[in-house]
Amino acid sequence: MTKKTKTLVLALGLGVFVAGCGHPSNISKEADHRIANPKMELMLDSKADSPVHAIVMPHDEPAFPPGPGRDEFVAACVVCHSPRYITMQPRFSRSTWLSEVNKMKDVYGAHISDEQALKITDYLFSINGKAGRGQGPKGTYGE
Amino acid sequence: MNRRGFLQLIGATGAAALMSSCNRVSSVVGVLSSPTELVRFPEKTEMILLTDRPPQLETPIHYFRQDLTPNEAFFVRWHLEGIPTFVDLRTFRLNVGGHVRQPLQLSVDELRSQFEPISIIAVNQCSGNSRSFFKPRVPGGQWKHGAVGNAKWTGVPVKSILDRAQLKSGAVDVSFNGLDVPPLPSVSDFVKALSIDHARDGDVMIAYAMNDQALPMVNGFPLRLVVPGWYGTYWVKALSDITVLPQPFSNFWTDKAYRIPNAPNGTESPKDLAKDTVPINKFNVRSIFVRPDPNEILHPGMQTEIEGVAFDSGYGIRRVEVSTDGGANWADARLDPEIGKYSWRRWRMPWTPRNRGQYRLMACATNAVGETQSKEQWNRSGFMWNVIQKVDVKVG
Repeated sequence: MTKKTKTLVLALGLGVFVAGCGHPSNISKEADHRIANPKMELMLDSKADSPVHAIVMPHDEPAFPPGPGRDEFVAACVVCHSPRYITMQPRFSRSTWLSEVNKMKDVYGAHISDEQALKITDYLFSINGKAGRGQGPKGTYGE
Repeated sequence: MNRRGFLQLIGATGAAALMSSCNRVSSVVGVLSSPTELVRFPEKTEMILLTDRPPQLETPIHYFRQDLTPNEAFFVRWHLEGIPTFVDLRTFRLNVGGHVRQPLQLSVDELRSQFEPISIIAVNQCSGNSRSFFKPRVPGGQWKHGAVGNAKWTGVPVKSILDRAQLKSGAVDVSFNGLDVPPLPSVSDFVKALSIDHARDGDVMIAYAMNDQALPMVNGFPLRLVVPGWYGTYWVKALSDITVLPQPFSNFWTDKAYRIPNAPNGTESPKDLAKDTVPINKFNVRSIFVRPDPNEILHPGMQTEIEGVAFDSGYGIRRVEVSTDGGANWADARLDPEIGKYSWRRWRMPWTPRNRGQYRLMACATNAVGETQSKEQWNRSGFMWNVIQKVDVKVG
């Protein structure tokens, strides 16, 4: 793409962006849903003074690469939260990932066997691990 | 084309003029000045995406140029996947029960019409705001400085509601539950509690309006507990159940989560974790730089204004000192008038850099009881960050 073409594309994109400014409630994700789900359209188009208040949450979760332990990860972790909870984190040592998985199992109530916990740890370490023998802090709860 | 090229392009197309009449002008800058991913959730503007399910969305710092953070830009943080996405006000009730003589089921209309409303301007800040700055890094939501906001909350003091429900003698704690539900039966429901005296202090309130509008769904529509001066974990969203207890409240979210070392400023060493911990509670004192933006272009001899916000748990900010040379020299910033004891307070300092080069800006706030910011701080959960902020800017 030449520089000129890029400039044109950006300028056009900006025009669309600016044109949309007056309508902060026009959310593209919702618009997509209206086509897919006519029933939802009724709720979303309800007037401001309607007693019914509804939103549609966007779904935009990252896809994770194949690898040993991925099946266990998807089955045990993604049922409760987006994989983005992994990609958001900095690279951690294996011991920190293990303590996170054990926290989910022992404290939060995830249905994971000890064997699965190790497989999931290996998978998390393979995609977002920090080399070295750094001993991560243990027992981090909450937020 | 690099980012600066894009900025120049925007200037060249005269978009600045268009954008001045457009609420989302700042979002454009946000998109360009932040390497992080932005996302739009229902009823929200572009926010920094931490996680999508359950959502954690961070406010771009430029929104803090306004005293009240717009609802559409206010940060979002949920714990459980099952967050409410549908509320019918004809059937929604706030249930008040437990250790009371007169249990109540109140609609939002009844809350609005049968109780004297109050309004409080108050900061709400996530316990883990600025977590990503702790060294060594800790697991959890990797917030920068935008898991905080300041809003005008309007609603009913919890005291008024408890008075109508008529407490039985011996009430100890009051628990607060919202419409969010755990994804599995084995996961603890998110419920928080306050002592009966705290709940009845007249400031703790149930808000049905935020900046004079209904709350966005992801910020807790239709009702949210407001606990001025305390961390956001207590500000239960989509509040549906208030239970008065004759014994201390106990659950995962209080006994295991959201605890801090029982030490000054919640600090401990990574090598020697504190054994004695307590539930997180009041804000410590801190300030946040708002301007100059790290990407703002500054020139030698050109006056600019350094600006930020500072807040504490309600004693009041009395002094903010600013350094433009990495902490060697400090000068007092000018404080804007106080707009509420639980609000943040804006500070400003004119600055004319003489030479080209890198400058390290720092700001340190002190409150009315002499509490000030940390030089260093760490805890395993990444809570209560209030280290003196450093911002490196380039003058060229």
